[in-house]
Amino acid sequence: MKFLPFVLKHLRRNWIRTLSTVLAMAVCIFLFCTLQTILASINGMLESSSATRLISRNAVSLVFNLPLSYGARIAAVPGVKRVATTSWFGGSLPAKKEGKADEGSETTTDWSQFFPNMAVDADPYFAMYPEFEIPPDQYKAFKEDLQGAVIGRKLANKFNWKVGDHFFLESFIPPYRKKSGPFEFTVRAIFDTDAVKHPNTDTGLMLFHYKYLYEGTGQRISAGTYNIEIDDPSQAGAVSKAIDAQFENSDAQTHTETEQAFAASFIAMAGNLAFLLNSIGLAVSFTILLVTANTMSMAVRERRTEIAVLKTLGFSSMHVMGLIVAEAIALGAIGGGLGLSGSQGLMYVLTHAPGIKDMLAGIGLSELHLKPAIAALGFSVALGLGFAAGFVPAMNAYRARITDMLRTV
Amino acid sequence: MSSAQAKVVRPETETASPMVDVRGVRKVYRRDAEELTVLDGIDLQVPAGEFVALMGPSGSGKTTLLNLIAGIDRPTSGQVIVAGTDVARLSESDLAKWRSRSVGFIFQFYNLIPVLRAVENVELPLLLTRLSKKERRERALTALKVVGLADRSGHYPRQLSGGQEQRVAIARAIVGDPSVLVADEPTGDLDAKSAEDILALMETLNREFKKTIVMVTHDPRAASRAHVQHHLEKGVLKGD
Repeated sequence: MKFLPFVLKHLRRNWIRTLSTVLAMAVCIFLFCTLQTILASINGMLESSSATRLISRNAVSLVFNLPLSYGARIAAVPGVKRVATTSWFGGSLPAKKEGKADEGSETTTDWSQFFPNMAVDADPYFAMYPEFEIPPDQYKAFKEDLQGAVIGRKLANKFNWKVGDHFFLESFIPPYRKKSGPFEFTVRAIFDTDAVKHPNTDTGLMLFHYKYLYEGTGQRISAGTYNIEIDDPSQAGAVSKAIDAQFENSDAQTHTETEQAFAASFIAMAGNLAFLLNSIGLAVSFTILLVTANTMSMAVRERRTEIAVLKTLGFSSMHVMGLIVAEAIALGAIGGGLGLSGSQGLMYVLTHAPGIKDMLAGIGLSELHLKPAIAALGFSVALGLGFAAGFVPAMNAYRARITDMLRTV
Repeated sequence: MSSAQAKVVRPETETASPMVDVRGVRKVYRRDAEELTVLDGIDLQVPAGEFVALMGPSGSGKTTLLNLIAGIDRPTSGQVIVAGTDVARLSESDLAKWRSRSVGFIFQFYNLIPVLRAVENVELPLLLTRLSKKERRERALTALKVVGLADRSGHYPRQLSGGQEQRVAIARAIVGDPSVLVADEPTGDLDAKSAEDILALMETLNREFKKTIVMVTHDPRAASRAHVQHHLEKGVLKGD
C-alpha cells in the first residue's frame, strides 16, 4: 500500500494521456456491462419459457394470422395436450384515460404507458401457464365477464389498479381497432407468481378474453398464434413437424417451434443477438487492450531513466515490474469503475425514463438492471485488460539493465 | 597508486580495512564477434572514510568502474568487494537489496522523479525499508536539512535550480545511511557557484559524517577536493 501514492502520482504525469486511456477503458467496460445486461435479461426471458409449450404461427411472418379452424386440427395432432388461441393485441392506454378517445384521432394513444397485452382462450391458456397464480374466485369472476382482464401484480402496482377498476386500451394494429373507440376492460383478477420457482416470469402483462376481441372487431379476425401444450417435452420436434405437416399444402402454412425459440425470434433473433453482442464486446475489449498497451509502452519508454534510477536505489526488478503492472491495473480499475457507473446510470435512465421504460416493459425487458455478477465480471475484465496491457512493458523493464537504461537519455 | 594522487587529510583512515576493494577487474563488452575491453586488470583499494576522485578522458572506463563499485554492473572477471561484500557474487535480487543498504548514487543529471516533491524523492529509497510513514518522512526531512534544503521539501524538481536538484539527489543518496557514496560527475551539469556548493557539501559528508566517497569527474578543481585522485586511461589505472 505504501507504493500506491507513488503509482497514482505517475498516472498524473501526463494527465491527458491518462484521461483518454481511462475514458477508453470506461467506454469498453460500459459497453461490455450494458450489452451483457441486455443479453442476461433476454436470456432470463427465454429461460422463463417452458419446454412443454409450443407456439404455432404463420410461416411467412408473425404479421400474418392463421385461420381459426386450425385450432381444432392442431388439437387433434397426437402428443398435443391442449391448444389456446392467442393474439398480441398491442393495446395502449388512450391519452384521455377517462372515457373514450377522440374518434378518428391518431394522436390519442399514450405510448409512454405501453405494456404487453394479449387476447387468449382463457381456460386452455391459463391451464398451460401454471406460473400465473390467480385466486380461484377472481378467475371465476374473470370468466364470467367478457370485458374482464387478468393483470399481473407489477402492472397493478404500476397503475394502482385494483379488482373492479376500469380502463381502456386501443390497439395500434388496424384489424384490432374499432370505429366506436378503444376497448373497455374491467380488472377481474390479479395474478402473482412464485419468484423462487419462476424468477423470470413477467407480471407486468395483461390478458383478456379472445372472444371479446373477436366479437368487438365484428368477427373478422383470425388467430395471431396458437399456444400448444404437449404431453412429452422430448417430442417437441416431432410434434412441431406433425403440426406443420398438417398445413403444408394450405394457403396459410404454419411454423411451429418451442416457446423459447418463438420468444427468441420475437426479440429479433436473440440467438444471433447474443453472438452479435458478444462479438462487439470482444472487439471493443481487444481494441482497448491495444490502446492501453500502447499507452503503457509509451509511459515506460519515457521513463527508462527513472526505472534505472529506481533499480539503482535498490528497487528489485520484481519491484519495478510490480509498480508498472500496478499502474496499468490502476488505469483499468479507474476506467472500469467509471464504465460500471455509466452502465448503472444508463440502466437507471432506461428503467425510469417515461416512455422508454414502458417500451422496454412492452418487449419484456422491464427488469433491466446491472447484476452484481455482471458488474464483477466487467470490473474483472477491466483489471485483466490493465494487467495484460502493462505486462509486456513491465517485463521489458524487468529485463532491462540499469547501465543500458542510463545510457539512453 | 596514481602518481597524480593528492593527499589532503586522512589521519584515521590510514590503517582501516578497505571499504572498496577492486581486485584484478576486467570488463569486456561484446557486440556480435567484436570485443571491447573497457577495464583491464584494475586494482583499487579505497579505505573507509576516504574521498576518492576518478579522472580520465572520455571512454577511459571511469563510469564503468564506478558502476561496478555501485553494484549496478558486473565485472567480466575479478572481484569487487564493497563494505565486505563481494558484489559480483550476489544474485540480482540480493544485489538490489545490497544497493539499497550500502550505496548512495549521485548522478550527473540528478535524475529526480519529476512527479514527486523533493521530500518524496528523498523518501523513495526508504520505501524499501520497514520504517513507518512518519519515520520515513522524518528521515527524509533530516536528510534535506543536512543538504540545506529543509525549506524546499514541498517543491517539485521543476521548481528547483540545478544546484538545488543536485542537493536533493545527494539527500536521496544519504538518506539510507549507506557505507559508500558514488558520484558520477556530480558537478558536470552545474555552474561554477553551484558546483562549488555541491563539492563543499560532499566534503562535509566525508568529513563530518565519515562517508566514503568515490567520485568520477573531468573537472580538476572538483578532483582537487578529494583526498586521492586516480587516473584511468584506456581501462588501466595509471601508475598502478
